[in-house]
Amino acid sequence: MDALLADLRSALSDDRVRYDAAQRSLIAHDASVFDGGVSGPVCYPVDTSEVQAIMRIALTHGRAVVPRGAGTGLAGGAIPLGAPVVIAMTKMNAILDVDLDNRVAWVEPGVINLDLSRHLRPMGFHFAPDPSSQQVCTIGGNVANNSGGPHCLAYGVTDAHVVSLEIVLPSGEVGTLGTLGPDDHGLDLRGAFVGSEGTLGIATKVAVRLTKNPPAVRTLLLSFASVRDAANTVSDVIANGIVPAAMEVMDQKITIAVENFVGAGYPLDAAAVLLAEVEGLEGGADIDAERISDLGRANGATNVRQAESDEERALLWKGRKTAFGAIAQIKPDYYLHDTVVPRSALADVLETIYDIAKRHDLIVMNVFHAGDGNLHPLLLFDARIEGELERVHAAGADILRACLAVGGVLSGEHGIGVEKQGYMEELFSADDLDHQNRLRKAFDPACRANPGKVLPMGHSCADIQALRAVPTGVWG
Amino acid sequence: MGASVLAIDDPVLHEFAELVGAEGAVSVAGGRTRWEAGGTLSPEAQVVEAPTGIVSYRPEEMTMQVRAGTTVAELDAALAEKGQRSALADRGGTVGGAVAVGESSVDQLGRGAVRDSVLQVRYVSAEGKLVTGGGPVVKNVSGFNLPKLLTGSLGTLGLLAEIIIRTNPMPPASVWLRCEGLSPARARDAVLTPSAVLWDGGATWVHLEGHAVDVRAEQKQLMTLGSCQEVGGPPPIPAHRWTLSPAQAAAFSASEPFLASIGVGRVWASAPQPALPVDPVAELIGQRTKQLFDPASRLNPGRTP
Amino acid sequence: MIPGWLRRQRGPDAVGKTGVAGAGVPAGVDLKLDADDLNMCVQCGLCLPHCPTFRVTGDESMSPRGRIKLMREVQDEGAPVTQDVLRSFESCVQCRGCEPACPSGVPYGHLMEQARESLAEEHLITPRWQRLAFKPLSQPKVLQLGSSALALANKTGLVPRRLGLPDDLPVRQEPLRASGDDVYLFTGCVMDAWQREVHAAGKRVIEAAGFGVTPTNELAPCCGALQAHAGLAGETRALAERMMRTLSDDDRPILVDSAGCGAAMKDYGHLLGTAGAAAFSARVFDIQEWLAEHVDRLPSVAAPLDLRVAIQDPCHLRHVQRAHAGTRVVLRPFVREIVELDDDGLCCGAGGAYSVLEPELAGAIRERKVGVIDQVEPDVVASANPGCSMHLAGAGVATVHPMQLIDQALSQPQPQPVGA
Ligand SMILES: Cc1cc2nc3c(=O)[nH]c(=O)nc-3n(C[C@H](O)[C@H](O)[C@H](O)COP(=O)(O)OP(=O)(O)OC[C@H]3O[C@@H](n4cnc5c(N)ncnc54)[C@H](O)[C@@H]3O)c2cc1C
Ligand code: SF4
Ligand code: SF4
Repeated sequence: MDALLADLRSALSDDRVRYDAAQRSLIAHDASVFDGGVSGPVCYPVDTSEVQAIMRIALTHGRAVVPRGAGTGLAGGAIPLGAPVVIAMTKMNAILDVDLDNRVAWVEPGVINLDLSRHLRPMGFHFAPDPSSQQVCTIGGNVANNSGGPHCLAYGVTDAHVVSLEIVLPSGEVGTLGTLGPDDHGLDLRGAFVGSEGTLGIATKVAVRLTKNPPAVRTLLLSFASVRDAANTVSDVIANGIVPAAMEVMDQKITIAVENFVGAGYPLDAAAVLLAEVEGLEGGADIDAERISDLGRANGATNVRQAESDEERALLWKGRKTAFGAIAQIKPDYYLHDTVVPRSALADVLETIYDIAKRHDLIVMNVFHAGDGNLHPLLLFDARIEGELERVHAAGADILRACLAVGGVLSGEHGIGVEKQGYMEELFSADDLDHQNRLRKAFDPACRANPGKVLPMGHSCADIQALRAVPTGVWG
Repeated sequence: MGASVLAIDDPVLHEFAELVGAEGAVSVAGGRTRWEAGGTLSPEAQVVEAPTGIVSYRPEEMTMQVRAGTTVAELDAALAEKGQRSALADRGGTVGGAVAVGESSVDQLGRGAVRDSVLQVRYVSAEGKLVTGGGPVVKNVSGFNLPKLLTGSLGTLGLLAEIIIRTNPMPPASVWLRCEGLSPARARDAVLTPSAVLWDGGATWVHLEGHAVDVRAEQKQLMTLGSCQEVGGPPPIPAHRWTLSPAQAAAFSASEPFLASIGVGRVWASAPQPALPVDPVAELIGQRTKQLFDPASRLNPGRTP
Repeated sequence: MIPGWLRRQRGPDAVGKTGVAGAGVPAGVDLKLDADDLNMCVQCGLCLPHCPTFRVTGDESMSPRGRIKLMREVQDEGAPVTQDVLRSFESCVQCRGCEPACPSGVPYGHLMEQARESLAEEHLITPRWQRLAFKPLSQPKVLQLGSSALALANKTGLVPRRLGLPDDLPVRQEPLRASGDDVYLFTGCVMDAWQREVHAAGKRVIEAAGFGVTPTNELAPCCGALQAHAGLAGETRALAERMMRTLSDDDRPILVDSAGCGAAMKDYGHLLGTAGAAAFSARVFDIQEWLAEHVDRLPSVAAPLDLRVAIQDPCHLRHVQRAHAGTRVVLRPFVREIVELDDDGLCCGAGGAYSVLEPELAGAIRERKVGVIDQVEPDVVASANPGCSMHLAGAGVATVHPMQLIDQALSQPQPQPVGA
């Protein structure tokens, strides 16, 4: 250990290679409910060459590496397993170049998502993916998790907005994937890298696409007497050929918690609310807003309100985007699920989810990217209470299976991480997983980057036999 | 444990896998519209055809599940019935061919890139096994992104058998304009979301799509900036596709006819593009990928994506 | 080890996460934190970008989430209070920018104050010389003679040069006289000595609105805010009780023109936990906050000041009192243009005595703030807290109290920004 630390410190600096217990304990967690990570040295590089040096040193000392952004991941992607060298990217947070001719910005991965859009605002552009955590999560984390957000309904998730990447491979080589152009020559390694949860290497520069700020935005808040009515409205909107910028649904419990925090005027008596936004030019935005309102009313909307000012709109969105955090008013812990089902199955699946929660005697709240069929059931619990955790775990598994049963998938945006590895075999066959493993090995033949994630045990890079050998509490 | 949810029960796909087998050089022919893309197929390769037919179309989900041998024309016809379309361009070929080549349409800005629209792929591996990557829904980050890897791979990593593609509503109004005295960059900046802005060195062509009011408003706007006329469609597209940055494409010039797609970086030119510089690390990863997916180089030998 | 689901428990299994107790490292300090308050944090991280120390370091141990986690480990899991744990706690500016950002409503400020109090009781934080430095604040005579501890330190070279405090800190001035008994104007300690001009301006403005003002002068020498931040809760309570005794003859509003003092006085209810203290706190208003309700009573001016004014909300006004809206309301009629800083009210790094105790971090935080200010190119920055003004002035930023701007507008000649 001393030799490893000494090498890292001489490559970086003393204060940017940390090994104190407090630091390592904090770095062993992200925003997920998972515990049991053990971190080795924590490095804070400031440029690509330092990342490269860390990779090479880790390799020499036989250590794995785990990249980390802001630590808001919900699937445990940034949790270190087996005392790896953790590479915290937060100091690589410069916006390097805004290239309006090519409509891209080159940024370092530690740039905070919202900081980038703020920076672009005076130029009339933004970075379209807007995860609810956008005020804190990093572009590197977005790339690694292929993150989505409410407005990805119309604009597409992160991979549609990342055109090129500078990466450092676990072997220490630095390369560039993708170009600023249409990129339909050669294998789309860029596309393979986005969403790989830190298992293919580390992104050190990212070229993101700039999206023009639309001149017209209409934000609608529709109230419903049942979650089913809200869900049906969502599928009707899509079925009628309208693709709004965003369509988000919150059920009554979460709406109340959110309203307590933001005071945006969310109705407290509606069983569900649908927050829908359309963007574009004035005329079309009005037409779409009108049609969505009509479809809502046809599905029994009890109230339809349109935000009248930018402040009102901002407050409504603030409510939606802080929803997960707001639940601590009710219970101290939450397990936030993330699955996708066909939109037309939304209403039925939601009913099933409420039943499952009831069966396990748990509080569940639903707040989700309805337009994509991307569900986020929130199971509330108190980890201090004996047995609650086990019930949450069991309910989570039931929910996942219910979603798979209607043609859904394991995750729409949070990733697999350590959370859903165990379920991969329920979605994919052994051959499917074997091919995913080959893709991983093409980038990282020695399985050095973020081992023990994504692929279930039994696949070479996922086999955490070696990781398990590190005994708890011995950090050597 | 039971079977995985994505287990394949379509006997037609299994027959295709058997046809491909586990040995010997093999390739799939689609419409042969881009047959020479990526190099000339080795003559010893057995050429098979992919299965055909639409498996399921769910317009309300905006997804279309289709066997790879289905023609893009057939796909388009089915979509049009429900007022939808996809990112694939009909060049007379098959869906599998269009995805394997990965070339987006002239309306890429409006219809999206092919690589962003492929939700799930099913292909026959070099070992003759059926493999599924991705998933049937519009948003999905479950595992590694095999659909991205297969799109544009020219069938060198697996032979596409079935694809689920994202569809989109057909915009209610559409107009093509040919403008003179209007630089392509200015045209691009003047409109919010054009479906295409093309430049042939003399005139700028703009494809506006969307709500009729919006299309009219933007058309009017463009008319004030240059002298624009409504035309039936884009100009003829030269044969060779070049990949440049958007800025390079906007500054493209050549003595022979060309067409540059503004904001995309695509240029169709009369001569082939000189070899592109290759990033050595990307090349290395590409070689390793090929080695891992097709160690005996039996899939589409002679071609490199 | 295989990742498992997070479990929180007291007990031997959980011990030692933050390190091993060894020589000189005390194990198992009871931080006496409210278990439910502590448990409210769901580790979502939404507070991180609103924390100045995280912003400039990118270090989880310098973030609210990290600090709360460490509190948990110490209190619930018996983790030892290592130097690194202390460093994490002591580097907190206590700006409470993390509080309004937290959707769970974690009462971070109170947690940190309690944690510091418990650590101070164990003599783990706040060395003696630091405690002594706060003594003069509650003794106005000392202040009047020799300016505040900080001003004194500045003059004698105790304050590091790079803090860049202006050399011309006012030293001695005449006390303000009462003009009536509609409202109290809290004149405090540090501020009284440093920025009596602000009190005078505020007093004139309130009077212009037609109210009689009683300056508190010796009635209320100190609010106890700095002591509270340092974990010296006992002293704070004594000061609070004293003030409540002298200012409670009637229930007229108490106006405060220093955001830090106002926040502390509004917190007496929580601090003392009595109905009387809560009632007292309810009478405390930030001067802009109060004036915003009476702005129509101010005379109108022929021409507003020809200035582009950027508003820098003091943390204790924005994040703690959440009363920053008033500043805009009262200023708007009197200046040409008001511009907002695009950083969600991130702290400037002044933090009471923080800029003296943590000069490096405070400097880095200020640098960031100056960058944000430069973006909007104001003529002057309006800040309603003397500490922030001094700190920013130290970096060459022209600052002025909003009351001074209004006072100037009402009496025409242009204001003299501090540090321009
Ligand atoms: C309140 C809340 C709301 C959220 N809302 C959304 C939402 O709406 N949509 C959504 O998609 N997600 C959401 N998330 C999840 C999370 O914020 C996203 O996944 C985010 O992109 C993670 O970014 P991060 O910087 O925090 O990454 P981290 O959590 O630090 O890391 C995530 C993964 O990225 C890897 N990584 C980080 N940096 C790099 C790099 N430079 N190179 C390679 N790999 C790297 C890590 O190893 C890890 O596997 C939410 C989370 C919270 C707490
Ligand atoms: S303090 Fe609040 S915002 Fe910060 S991590 Fe905890 S719950 Fe989230
Ligand atoms: S009080 Fe300020 S410095 Fe302390 S944790 Fe909160 S935001 Fe950070």
